[in-house]
Amino acid sequence: MKDEKEMNQMFQEILEQHKGILFKVTRMYCQNEVDRQDLYQEISIQIWMSLDKFNNKYKISTWLYRISLNVAISFYRKNIKREVTNIPLSEDISQIQESDYTEKEHNLNLLEQFISELNELDKALMLLYLEEKNHAEIADIGYFCK
Amino acid sequence: MDEKEMRNIWQSYNERLESTMQVAYENVGEIAKIKLKSFLHSMKPFKVITIIIGILWVVFVDTLIINLWTTANLFFLISACIQTVLTKVAIGVYLYQLYLIYNVDLSEPVIISQERLSRLQFSTLLVPRILFLQLPAWTTFSWHTSMLYDGNIFLLTIQGVISILSVYASIWLFLNIRYENRNKKWFRWLFNGKEWDPIIESTELIRQIEEYKSEEINSTGAY
Repeated sequence: MKDEKEMNQMFQEILEQHKGILFKVTRMYCQNEVDRQDLYQEISIQIWMSLDKFNNKYKISTWLYRISLNVAISFYRKNIKREVTNIPLSEDISQIQESDYTEKEHNLNLLEQFISELNELDKALMLLYLEEKNHAEIADIGYFCK
Repeated sequence: MDEKEMRNIWQSYNERLESTMQVAYENVGEIAKIKLKSFLHSMKPFKVITIIIGILWVVFVDTLIINLWTTANLFFLISACIQTVLTKVAIGVYLYQLYLIYNVDLSEPVIISQERLSRLQFSTLLVPRILFLQLPAWTTFSWHTSMLYDGNIFLLTIQGVISILSVYASIWLFLNIRYENRNKKWFRWLFNGKEWDPIIESTELIRQIEEYKSEEINSTGAY
């Protein structure tokens, strides 16, 4: 059992070094900034609460993906009304001026729409796929496609 | 858009997102408060009120039983005892399942945690199943031994039929409120309402997980 100070430090380091994972997961499951912040907070709390259960046999990123995706799936089921039509674009996309609306942005828009229509488990699988995780890692994180 | 292009778009957008998003907080003291808030938040007012009403009801019925033990008729005492015992069991099961749901290990692989969570959530239906078993007791409260000898035969028959039907209904509901019947009309009608939504939605996730498992079996020959 780690002491409080050690856990605080470990927690800060994990959040700092791996915040990218949290950002990607929140982005995958939330359409707007407020929900993203809430989900980010929920995931952080769960990481904090699971710190003493961390098992060194797994990579820390695997452990973080598991927690983040599990929290995100539950959060998604609790909070998000599944509207498959009229999906609001995320803020930074909607701020793009019409003149800047390049093919890349258009494709990004399509990708976002496609992701938003997936069910909660497929979203997780899609994230791991886009992150170029190999089959073994995907199996470790999600138990999908072992 | 091909796969490579899709991944490139994703990566470039991630870089942009990471540079613009701010971490909401980093203060550990704040997190301790949020932890508590999160736990309290998970106990929705509906659940808290239900538990409080249940406990108050049990205390009320137990008080009646104790005070009327020597004077009340046998049917009343037996009905009240059945009612209060089943309510106590239901409250205990409800609290235990809330505890289990809150303590599911979310650092397990996604499919395992989500399946455990969904099945636990669905299993909270054990509470209404137990409560339905009380149904016959509600029809026998007013019975009295003297009415068996001097009572109106017509009214006695009606009371008897109602009690037998309630026994049948309670046992039938106890046996049939289960996952396999989740799509039946009567099931949807019985559990129609906002407070049942998480349980009904948990069945959808269980279905998705079962689909994953069956795809797994089809592709590998074993799970």
